[in-house]
Amino acid sequence: MSLPHDFAHTHVTGESEFVDDRPIMRNELFADVFYSTRAHALIKRVDFTEALNDPKVIAIFTGHDFAHNLWGTIFKDQPILATDKVNYAGEGIAIIVAETREAAQRAKQKVIIEYADLAPVLTIEEAKKSESFIIPARKIERGSVESVLKESPLSLKGKIIIQGHDHFYLESQASIAYPLEDGQLEIHSSSQHPTETQHVVAHALGLPDKDVVCQVKRMGGGFGGKESQAAPFAAMAALAAIKMKRPVRLCLTKDDDMIMTGKRNPFENEYKVGFDQEGKILSLDVKLFSDAGAYADLSTSIMERAMLHIDNAYFIPNLRVTGQVCRTNHHSHTAFRGFGGPQGVATIEKIIEEIAHFLKKDPIEVRKLNLYTDEGERNTTHYGQVVKNNCLGRLFHELEKSCDYKKRRHEIEKENKHNKDFLRGISLTPVKFGISFTTRFLNQGNALVIVHNDGSVQIATGATEMGQGVNARIAEMVTSELGLTRKEARVMPTRTDKNANTSPTAASSGTDINGAAALLATRKIKKRLSELALKLLDIPKEKWASKTAGLGTQAEVELKTPDLLENDPNAGAEWQSGKASYFEIQFEDGWVIHPKHLEKKIEFKYLVLEAYLNRISLSDYAFYKIPGIEFNKIKGEGDAFLYYTQGVACTEVKLDQLTGEVKILRTDILMDLGRPVNEDLDMGQVSGAYIQGLGWVTTENLYYNDQGLLLSHAPSTYKIPSIQDTPRIFNIELLENDENFANVRGTKAVGEPPLLLAVSAWTAINDAIRQLPRYIASYPELRIPATSENVLRAMMPERFKEWE
Amino acid sequence: MRNKIIFYLNGIRKEVGAKESSMMLAEYLRYDQCLTGTKIVCAEGDCGACSVLRLFPHNQSVDSHNYVPINSCITLVAQLDGSSLVTVDALKEKDGTLHETQRAMVECHGSQCGFCTPGFVMALTGLVEEKLSKKEKTIDPQEAKNGLTGNLCRCTGYRSIIDAATSIDLDKCRTIKERFYSERQEVDLTKVYAESLLIETEDFFYYAPKTMKESLAFLKDYPDCRIIGSGTDLGVVHNKRRTQLTRLLSLHLISKLYEVDRNGDEVTFGARVSHTEFRHFLKDKVPEFSRYLDVFASPQIKNTGTVVGNIATASPIGDTPPVLLALNATIVVESMSGKREIPIDQFFLAYRKTAIQHGELITQVKFKVPDAKSHLRFFKYANRKDLDISAINLAMRLKWKGDEKKEIDELIIAAGGLASTPIRFLKTEEALKKSFDLEAAVKILHSEVKPISDLRASSAYRHVLLENYVRKFFSEASV
Repeated sequence: MSLPHDFAHTHVTGESEFVDDRPIMRNELFADVFYSTRAHALIKRVDFTEALNDPKVIAIFTGHDFAHNLWGTIFKDQPILATDKVNYAGEGIAIIVAETREAAQRAKQKVIIEYADLAPVLTIEEAKKSESFIIPARKIERGSVESVLKESPLSLKGKIIIQGHDHFYLESQASIAYPLEDGQLEIHSSSQHPTETQHVVAHALGLPDKDVVCQVKRMGGGFGGKESQAAPFAAMAALAAIKMKRPVRLCLTKDDDMIMTGKRNPFENEYKVGFDQEGKILSLDVKLFSDAGAYADLSTSIMERAMLHIDNAYFIPNLRVTGQVCRTNHHSHTAFRGFGGPQGVATIEKIIEEIAHFLKKDPIEVRKLNLYTDEGERNTTHYGQVVKNNCLGRLFHELEKSCDYKKRRHEIEKENKHNKDFLRGISLTPVKFGISFTTRFLNQGNALVIVHNDGSVQIATGATEMGQGVNARIAEMVTSELGLTRKEARVMPTRTDKNANTSPTAASSGTDINGAAALLATRKIKKRLSELALKLLDIPKEKWASKTAGLGTQAEVELKTPDLLENDPNAGAEWQSGKASYFEIQFEDGWVIHPKHLEKKIEFKYLVLEAYLNRISLSDYAFYKIPGIEFNKIKGEGDAFLYYTQGVACTEVKLDQLTGEVKILRTDILMDLGRPVNEDLDMGQVSGAYIQGLGWVTTENLYYNDQGLLLSHAPSTYKIPSIQDTPRIFNIELLENDENFANVRGTKAVGEPPLLLAVSAWTAINDAIRQLPRYIASYPELRIPATSENVLRAMMPERFKEWE
Repeated sequence: MRNKIIFYLNGIRKEVGAKESSMMLAEYLRYDQCLTGTKIVCAEGDCGACSVLRLFPHNQSVDSHNYVPINSCITLVAQLDGSSLVTVDALKEKDGTLHETQRAMVECHGSQCGFCTPGFVMALTGLVEEKLSKKEKTIDPQEAKNGLTGNLCRCTGYRSIIDAATSIDLDKCRTIKERFYSERQEVDLTKVYAESLLIETEDFFYYAPKTMKESLAFLKDYPDCRIIGSGTDLGVVHNKRRTQLTRLLSLHLISKLYEVDRNGDEVTFGARVSHTEFRHFLKDKVPEFSRYLDVFASPQIKNTGTVVGNIATASPIGDTPPVLLALNATIVVESMSGKREIPIDQFFLAYRKTAIQHGELITQVKFKVPDAKSHLRFFKYANRKDLDISAINLAMRLKWKGDEKKEIDELIIAAGGLASTPIRFLKTEEALKKSFDLEAAVKILHSEVKPISDLRASSAYRHVLLENYVRKFFSEASV
């Protein structure tokens, strides 16, 4: 059994500290954000007089109070607080600072504001019409799309509508800014990207980066929602703190968080596909349109990943994908687990379902027919990257057998013919998810490892902990390298004064990048300790520094070999154990051993002390960059990823013909995660991601009013899966795969990929509905999410039309 | 007359005045008592992160014997008067040993980010308490799910949490009662419960008399005072800053109002009877009602929320009003000028407006248990099956004339979510009773409502659901 999460034991007692759990200082103030309720309007007048009438309300700040009011990760296009014009409902306009939370919240209602409404753009459709785009469309193309489409024996065209998805991290955006001496600031933020938070705060206030430290202890969930969007709230708290010279806490309510912050981008994709009688795809022309909301945020990168995942697991010889990022008057949509991948994958999986339905074939056969293989050119993606370590065939083969797919499909189709109460559906879909940031410079990280005098270890990296267990994995890698148990190390809070210029903990890469850096730093120390241990073999114990320290009677041990300079965490490491050794010295179970001098083994902590007394550094820092990322964004060509995490899922659903309600009967997942550091933590990621994705494709419905103001902004109205919504049977297995030589210790990233497996639930719902007699010659129109209403509408569209 | 709220927090006696009493319990715990284990996420009782355990040892009800989970985010500290409370911060044994639920959550990886975890631990501990009191030995997966319906987790996908729950060794659990409740506490709280309470400051007014008479006299003089039952509705409205709970009358010290009873075929229940209690009571008497209450709200809400509160708040999508309409319930109200009975079909006047007049209080609701020949069916549709507000709910009661099932003797069709109040389909009922022609009746059915489109359902969907449910009911009842 794997070790639990490194802070599970304090999570269950409530001792784990989150931002808002920090003790409130006596002089601390509380901030809240007054925001727009109009989609697109000029601000004619704002009057704070009445809000300021409450003696508990201390101050109100606006965008004019910042040194620089614009921020943005890719383009600096977004005001921290809107000044003369609002571009979405939920856009911040003022920061209200008060002695209590309640006073700040109630003061918001007393702000008087007058708008002059402008015409809003609230849908992708409208954006296309008015050509409201963030940047010009991008394109990735291979082969002769047009001509092969024309020549294809069969073809289909269609559209898929994919709505947004709220992160619903349990801990809403939270930050506290503490003003320090000499104009410095310390920010505690629930952020996936402390470096960006530091930089945004410093820039907004006109401070040098050196005067702002950002600390992230942990987050109550992030899922991408705190990658870019934690920063502006930190800047607001920081502004108030600097102005008031008092600590300021800004913790959003769930309602305000949901109204103000961006979601998973909605997409509306159009496709034309040519295929043969067997179902082999010959040519695909697909146009992706995403809703970015009012500002760019990360939407252009998200679109890129959608374009790079439009193939999912399938070789499509002629493929053109264009991506157009639309600007609308909604909250700025942002990173969310999968980062565009899910929207791409859902599109191709729907296409496959439609092809199979058209050919009256089992969709699994069409999928298998189109999979990437190792033969010829059928192993190369549309952007020219070779799919190495391809496990797709094996995954299909093993899961199809273990979940009894064939038999169940047969039974389902038979039963559906006469069951008037329920319809069942089944679907097996794959995922092939590219691991790495597609933006090359983000694929870097650094780590600081400190061995203390007593042999206990502290680790600091740029990774942030949001429940995924990145710190537990890093600690396990470091301690195993040193022959220690995990409890002898502690991963410290992420701070920008220890690890600077880091990347967000995102793209599933937290362990890959930071774990590799931590391992490299550890090995630097290990190499020095190894050389010392070797030298100590020749020195009688009574002459060791620990016996003679302070006397000056013995010469100091001097190390002769240069420090380790290595970027590959697998170099010099033995593949099975993942551990490197130097000078034949082994680190095991708290001991340091030379295999030829077993009798002279030294206890690790004793060796550490000896190193200190001989003035050998016990701390080290390492930098790691992922090699081989050569993706030319202009051409849309090259190696975008270090490797692919792959998996398959089979979901069976039951639809209530009375109401359209969906019940997930059974889910079987088989994932390829290479060789996990901590298998149970990985399994937790798989089940969590799948259920989160399940919410996206079924019950999670973002409902806006005609001003683009989100009305489903709390769990009473926005329904994430509850414990009753989990599949009745839920099997998760990992594929044995010892051959991912590309990544640290043969592991594979797990954070995002399994979310995409929830597409199988959506295709299973489609599969059930398409079996209705009415769909013999057509395919149901169903969007994501397949809410009960959408499902019932697809089952009996004319009954709905009666009332519309 | 007391002027302090008195309760026990993790075994320690607390006596608090207006300032603390007017706080929400979760805020009091976190920001006044520095017990930050309890988390606030939604502040509307919909996620369970704020779950704490409460014992209210005063009446012979389900929750008077055991510590049960409640939502601390929508509970005023004032409402804890006379209770004993345990929070996650105290759950670990003094020697550092984790409670069995905590151990299970750690070992089964039931916690990832840790933010929902304390709430899950407390809800699960509540389930353990219930199990121990029934001397049961194991927790099966469905029981785990039912016990944890009121808790949301966004990280784990619940799989590991279900594993944790089912791995709990009940033999290893010492009850919370054994650890945190004492005879001295019981004696003290009994004394507390025996005395009326009045907190009166400029900012906060909270009155809890011992008798109905005092309540009614007070209501007559202070018509602007709100009556607070469990506050599962008022607490939300307060947190969302749409109102401020400053002047309140609480009936929690009046024992009579906790009574639920069956006399012949008549069931009566008092104004303070909780959903949990009511569901338990109905199990063998009106099983369909009890089943319906299963998918109604979370354990935390059901443990405090009252059935009468669900009626009095007069929400058009309240879940019990259609059922009580179908059962022809009678609402008993009292005022200084006496008692009167309002048939429930005359109770809901307009959106959130009832037939209760100034100075009146609901003290009791009664209905006759339908006989064995009656067909009874209650439907609730919500966007998520469990722990969700209805988009539409429907309650139907039917009795055929004779065995051919061609003629109808009695029929009530009642619904919520289709108009500004819970409604009866009087014309449809009439038509069907005149002649059992379902096709014709369906047309009338639709003509009786003009449902709105909102975030829970479109108008069209509500029409389709209504018809589907009614057809389903008659097809079942005709067999």
